[in-house]
Amino acid sequence: MTARAERSRAVRLERPPVWRRILWSEHLAGWAFVMPAFILIAIFALIPIGWSLILSLQNNNLLSPGHYIGLANYKALAKDPQFRSAVGHSLVYTVLFVPISVAGALGLAVALNRKIRGIRFYRLAVFVPLVTSTVATGIVFLWLLDPTFGLVNYILHALGLPQQQFLQDPNEALYCIVAMTVWSWLGFDVIIYLAALQGIPEELLEASEIDGASKWTTFRSVVVPLLGPATLFLVVWSTINALQLFDEIYVTTRGGPLGSTTVIVYYLYEQAFQFFNGGYGAAVAYVLFLGILVVTLMQLWIGRRRVYYSS
Amino acid sequence: MLPLDAPPKKPGRKLPFSPWHLFLMPMAAIMLLPLVWMVVVSLETAQQAHSYPPVLIPSSLHFSNYPAAWNTLPFGDFFVNSAIYALTTVAGNLLFCSLAAYAFARMRFAGKNMLFVVFLATLMVPYQVLLIPTFLIVKRLGMVDSVGGLIAPNLCSAFGVFMLRQFFRTLPIELEEAARIDGTSRLGILFKIVLPLSLPALATLGIIQFMWSWNDFLWPLIIIDSTNHAPVQLGLSMLQGAHSTEWNLLMAGTVMSQIPMLVIFLFAQRWFIRSIAFTGINQ
Amino acid sequence: MPGVILEEVTKVFPGDTVAVDHLSLEVADGEFVILVGSSGCGKTTALRMIAGLDKPTSGTIRIGERAVNEISARDRDVAMVFQNYALYPHMTVYRNLAYPLRQRRMPRREVDKRVNEVAEMLSLEELLKRRPAQLSGGQRQRVAMGRALVREPKVFLLDEPLSNLDAKLRVQMRAGLKRLHSRLGITTVYVTHDQVEAMTLADRIAVLSDGKLQQLGSPQDVYDHPANVFVAGFIGSPPMNLLRGTARAGQVTAGQLVFERPGIQDGDVVVGLRPEAMRPVVDGMPALDFRVDVVEPLGDEVIVHGALAAELIAVDTDATDGEVGSINGTGIEAVARLDPRQRPAEGSTIRLGIEDSEVHVFDALTGLAINV
Repeated sequence: MTARAERSRAVRLERPPVWRRILWSEHLAGWAFVMPAFILIAIFALIPIGWSLILSLQNNNLLSPGHYIGLANYKALAKDPQFRSAVGHSLVYTVLFVPISVAGALGLAVALNRKIRGIRFYRLAVFVPLVTSTVATGIVFLWLLDPTFGLVNYILHALGLPQQQFLQDPNEALYCIVAMTVWSWLGFDVIIYLAALQGIPEELLEASEIDGASKWTTFRSVVVPLLGPATLFLVVWSTINALQLFDEIYVTTRGGPLGSTTVIVYYLYEQAFQFFNGGYGAAVAYVLFLGILVVTLMQLWIGRRRVYYSS
Repeated sequence: MLPLDAPPKKPGRKLPFSPWHLFLMPMAAIMLLPLVWMVVVSLETAQQAHSYPPVLIPSSLHFSNYPAAWNTLPFGDFFVNSAIYALTTVAGNLLFCSLAAYAFARMRFAGKNMLFVVFLATLMVPYQVLLIPTFLIVKRLGMVDSVGGLIAPNLCSAFGVFMLRQFFRTLPIELEEAARIDGTSRLGILFKIVLPLSLPALATLGIIQFMWSWNDFLWPLIIIDSTNHAPVQLGLSMLQGAHSTEWNLLMAGTVMSQIPMLVIFLFAQRWFIRSIAFTGINQ
Repeated sequence: MPGVILEEVTKVFPGDTVAVDHLSLEVADGEFVILVGSSGCGKTTALRMIAGLDKPTSGTIRIGERAVNEISARDRDVAMVFQNYALYPHMTVYRNLAYPLRQRRMPRREVDKRVNEVAEMLSLEELLKRRPAQLSGGQRQRVAMGRALVREPKVFLLDEPLSNLDAKLRVQMRAGLKRLHSRLGITTVYVTHDQVEAMTLADRIAVLSDGKLQQLGSPQDVYDHPANVFVAGFIGSPPMNLLRGTARAGQVTAGQLVFERPGIQDGDVVVGLRPEAMRPVVDGMPALDFRVDVVEPLGDEVIVHGALAAELIAVDTDATDGEVGSINGTGIEAVARLDPRQRPAEGSTIRLGIEDSEVHVFDALTGLAINV
């Protein structure tokens, strides 16, 4: 071999290790940084996602190992009248909760978006319920809506209206839950809307006024369309949360009276942790997952076509 | 529903104040009524609390409900458990999410993009799906009925990783590059440069996680059996279970359980509101 | 019939900031009046009050014969072009243009006709289906103008409409605006801080400072006969050189410069020399030495900076105080504009003269022009 070829061969032999060394340390560093998070998420999210699927194909009482029964759980769910009614309750709840809280929040945000005296106090009044826990909310409302001693029935009485059974009435309980949770979560939607409202340039509203629009028209034609992204977000977010309702039910009605407030997640809890049908519960969870996914995708699809993004 | 205000006061108006007050006052009253009532009942005697018509303004303040509630169930333990749960999960999240977020934002390594997608995908799955297996895992790890069992699944959230990554990417990269040239290690850059600049994002994550952990109910319900290991919300529910008809006592317990969160909220309002607004902006 | 009248209009904001101070001016029907001044002088506030977006604290605003103080912006039949255009981002150009007409409940066909007319007038036909985000700055500006014009308003208000455009576009749009005005003849009130725009576009200029009207007149008038030191220093580019001087027995002395003003009262004065008025001395002219420091050749002229044999003072045209306040002898350069053929060397001292009629004299205390 010529001296030249020898030298270039030596160089080529020398290079790879250095190059690989640098690359290795960058890769190692990256993985090292990610490792703790990865391990935790792998153990407590990734594995459970897969395991849940497996469980849903088993008959498992969470105490001893389960055995496989294929899709039997899912087939049973499809025919289960209690599950059906749980789904019905969840849907009724969602269909009431989402529009009421989103539209209500919009109105409130508009009212709160001004510089009058005491506005901080008013805003605070709307935000504070957000900070109270679901348990506390449940307990307080349980007492407020008590048919015998509750303050609300007292107020109704003072106004000459008939007394209600509220949470003890199978026909009213779910609606009371709607009211309670709207009260609880309104602040979140208001905060989002307030931020969005404040992002609309004052000039646009002035231009609309000069163009001859009434305040209501300005609101309808300029403000609401520009709030599109916020509205979409809130609808999707509220729907997902509504379908996952649990805490408030547990604390107030335990799914009653007569199962009228048993929603999907409460049903799951009963099945998995009271009746120890772990596999069945896992199947419910997966059906819920799919349901949420489908509804969210539909909402996003509709939203994409109708919502204007100002970026 | 009227949109934004017109220019300042017009002369010859009928009211000396903005008409919006007529709407906002009742609204504020309705929003605050349940909480105010909670406090009022907590200061009544059992007799007053269970009378009809309800005693709206008790003649005297019956503070003894509070020590009574405190002693009925180990409230001291409840608070300690919650504090440990909340603070540890906050610390864990801030640490682990920062590390991972920084790696995703600024470093290059094999499989990075795929891994990030996997992280994000976990956000799509509702936690009820994870509930049963997580219970089984915690059981396997022998952490059932312990504060450790509360903490372990919540030490690091994909949400936190996502949020911090977005934030880190908005920081000017020149600062980090300058530090690299100066020979600072990656870890050093993260802790000495990036994190100090990320305090708003860290505060947001911290607050969200703290509130979530403090108010958590379902997971403690499943994992904790014994009273001593219960965090506050579960403890409150236990109080409800044991004394469901002693409403004055129950309200006192409820007030106590909410005070820490309310106090933090009142002092750190701006941070709270920012944190919540932030979750919306990210859509 | 007058177009717009402001009678002693005052605007005080919370915190006692006086934005507009007893402003009175009259815009004739079809006239193009420009309010000019530096930031904070009150011009935009005045414009907004004409539009109805802000209410005057006192004083009356009339459009046509009608006092409009109590009338809301929507009913005043004025149209406005905002500095940042304020186009509805979620609407197409067509819908942006149609919006004001839809508010008047105009039938669809009529709306379509008008929108297409205006689009043609402003060369927007190709862009009707686009959204503002897809337009360039100049295009957005034209849409903003179109939206204002489509209603054929009584008064056309513009708030620094050209300030967000690059220099070349600005020059084009200026010509475009002038053409539009002569074609449509709408009463126009225009606000800008750029005195070149003011001079080239306006029928009359209103110079404002600190909320007060300093002078109202045609561009040439304001240039030739500035009413006070503020206007003198504001109008004209490069700005007028202002010298400290003394008047005694009918003669004014400012450093080396000496000239006659028979009948003038004794006292301290400010002498103003426009850079373009100074030229190589001819016998009999008042003159003074100029030490040249920097020479800027511009092709058709040469701008020289340096020191005059006199004490220069500055009137801070950015401050809210238009009076002769800050006296700063050091660091103020004198500026002269000369013919390129007479280009002096840097470091040399030349002698510059000025026609007696082109020397401006102002009272040092009040700042007002002294016309004797």
